[in-house]
Amino acid sequence: MRLFRQTFRAMAGEHELQLAHHDIAVARRAAAAAIADVKRIEAKYSRYLADSVTSRINAAAGRDAVAIDTETAALLRYAEQCFALSEGLFDITSGVLRRVWDFKADPPRLPTASELASVVQLVGWSRVEWADNAIRLPQAGMEIDFGGIGKEYAADRVATVCLEHGLRHGLVNLSGDVRAIGPQPDGSPWRVGIRHPRAQGAAIAGFDLAAGALATSGDYERYFDVAGTRYCHILNPATGMPVAHWQSVSVVSPLCVVAGSCATIAMLLEDKGAAFLDAQGVQWLGVAADGSLAGPAA
Amino acid sequence: MRVVAIAVFTCVLASCAIEPPKPWEKGNLAKPEMQFDYDRLDTKTQQHIYTSKEGATGGYGVGGGGCGCN
Amino acid sequence: MAVTERNLQLLAAALALPGVMPSAHAQSAPDKGIFELQYLSYRDWQPGRNRMSVDAPACYALIPLSDTWVVEGGMVYDAMSGASPLYFNVLSGASIGDYRTAGDLKVTKYMGDWAYSVGGFVSSEQDFLSRGGSLNLQFFSDDRNRTWLVGVAGTNDRINATNGVAPNSERNSWEFVVGVTQALTPNDIVQSNLTFYSGHGYYSDPYKPLDTRPSTRDTYAWLTRYNHYFVDADATLKIGYRLLFDSFGDTSNTFEASWAQALPWGFVVTPALRFYTQTSADFYMNPPFPSGFVEGQNYSADTRLASFGAITAGAMVSKTVWDGWNVSLRADYYRQDPDWQVFGSGSPGIQTFSARWFQVNLSKNF
Repeated sequence: MRLFRQTFRAMAGEHELQLAHHDIAVARRAAAAAIADVKRIEAKYSRYLADSVTSRINAAAGRDAVAIDTETAALLRYAEQCFALSEGLFDITSGVLRRVWDFKADPPRLPTASELASVVQLVGWSRVEWADNAIRLPQAGMEIDFGGIGKEYAADRVATVCLEHGLRHGLVNLSGDVRAIGPQPDGSPWRVGIRHPRAQGAAIAGFDLAAGALATSGDYERYFDVAGTRYCHILNPATGMPVAHWQSVSVVSPLCVVAGSCATIAMLLEDKGAAFLDAQGVQWLGVAADGSLAGPAA
Repeated sequence: MRVVAIAVFTCVLASCAIEPPKPWEKGNLAKPEMQFDYDRLDTKTQQHIYTSKEGATGGYGVGGGGCGCN
Repeated sequence: MAVTERNLQLLAAALALPGVMPSAHAQSAPDKGIFELQYLSYRDWQPGRNRMSVDAPACYALIPLSDTWVVEGGMVYDAMSGASPLYFNVLSGASIGDYRTAGDLKVTKYMGDWAYSVGGFVSSEQDFLSRGGSLNLQFFSDDRNRTWLVGVAGTNDRINATNGVAPNSERNSWEFVVGVTQALTPNDIVQSNLTFYSGHGYYSDPYKPLDTRPSTRDTYAWLTRYNHYFVDADATLKIGYRLLFDSFGDTSNTFEASWAQALPWGFVVTPALRFYTQTSADFYMNPPFPSGFVEGQNYSADTRLASFGAITAGAMVSKTVWDGWNVSLRADYYRQDPDWQVFGSGSPGIQTFSARWFQVNLSKNF
């Protein structure tokens, strides 16, 4: 059984599919169908595309409700569940906070208190009016953003597409969100490394994955350091300030979308994150601010 | 009496779940070979052949339609 | 891994997202349709008698109309020729050169935790017309590992024999099924159904002289099927058993077993065996023509109601071709023999009966 590798770009990232099947044509077809679905999800939910569902919803903020289909409603329901389990910290309306945090600015600049206040008042998932068929953002300037769910959701759908094509061995890697379709062709699990939060190109730990998913949330994706303190892109929606308790959290779950949400929620819950993950009963590994490892997999 | 015993056995069979799969463990059950009557046309054809050459009919599902066979 | 109640909330919400899990389409509206074409070539024979042959093209389609509505239906056209096997000639046998057209249509609506189906069917031959309808209800457990089935069907059969015997006869029947399908483990699934049939009307065979059968017929059938997937072998073992009691007096046992073996390049090879036995109907009388026969009593010399055993040995080879296309070839050899009735004694004086059929199928998922 040959291993078929395909890399592709989507959702502002580099991704890789590793698929194995007796008939390479089957793996090729599965990969093509899977990549098409990732691009479909990007086109539908990317806030950078003017005619995406997300952009249409955001453009109508403060005005009319926008009709939504079953897929969007299911994603909103999932976001609602994350909001509830994270004590309101996982909030898909918190994307507006990026307006005052520019992680590309040089030299880096912290936002002022009034700047923060002006965007924090636009955050509030509990104020969003939505049902199975429509959604309305009540205040102009509010935005929703599926960025915290979309890539992991796509990873699970890629796995389903491959399984439905008859593939039983493979690994999906959407720029760090990993989902196994099945073990390696020889039956052994995939060896997935966890990126070291401070050492570029190095791994701090590894997981064996024969099925299920591994996702990591870290403070090293978008950040700047000022006066020895790291300010990362994971922001507390109530204060508008970055979280600081963890350098990174990695979670294993049967579904990538759950692994990703748990990792992000643990980062947001900061010192309460460990208890949350233990209550979820998932395998996890956290790298604390001081670089020490925590969690059952440590 | 025999029918009652059969019915009871069926209920017992139905209620002793050994280790029911979680939703993410159902990949193998979704294979065509693992489903009952995945190919409905094939089942219908095979049962029609046996119905026309044997005394017994039925048991595989209702509403298939009769023929002038037995 | 041990999961707590809270864990299930997030997983449950995630599982509600479309397409994150492959699903067997039995419990929710399938998102793919199926179109299938089939051709059957059947021949049977018996020592010293004429052969019967049937050539039957057939088609089937399943079309999801929406997230919750599915329609499916099929048609078959049987072209039959040759004489039906007779185990003795009293009068010259009826020679069959006949055509049968049959069709059925079923609509299913999925309501989340349950589903209902309404269907209709027609089968038409020169001398026989059968029409009926069915209603089926399915109930799915929360974890979708168990499905209960309740179904009822009603049928009207109208017989107009070409030899003028018993013109415009009919019979009405209804059928009731209750069953359960349970996934036992990720690689085991079992199904068990109880079916009750009750009919009133004309059941005799007008082409067989003096054939007089009861005007009521009740049958009780219990079918259990079990599939096990062997992960290392990438093969599925399928076994089944049906026990059927018939008020006509013939009790039958059917054992079936097959092994679906996946092979490289998308091939699946499935050898299969079926062993069937039936006792004779109460009113069946062995050839030669019985002495002491009284006019008006139930009687049949139809060997389909005799006591015998039968074995089918067959194999199917299928292959996925291109994208979503599947082609399969099937060959079966069947033989009835009174000596093979292991649960009693076979009817003496009847000869063995053999048949073979080939079937080719072409299907496409879309």
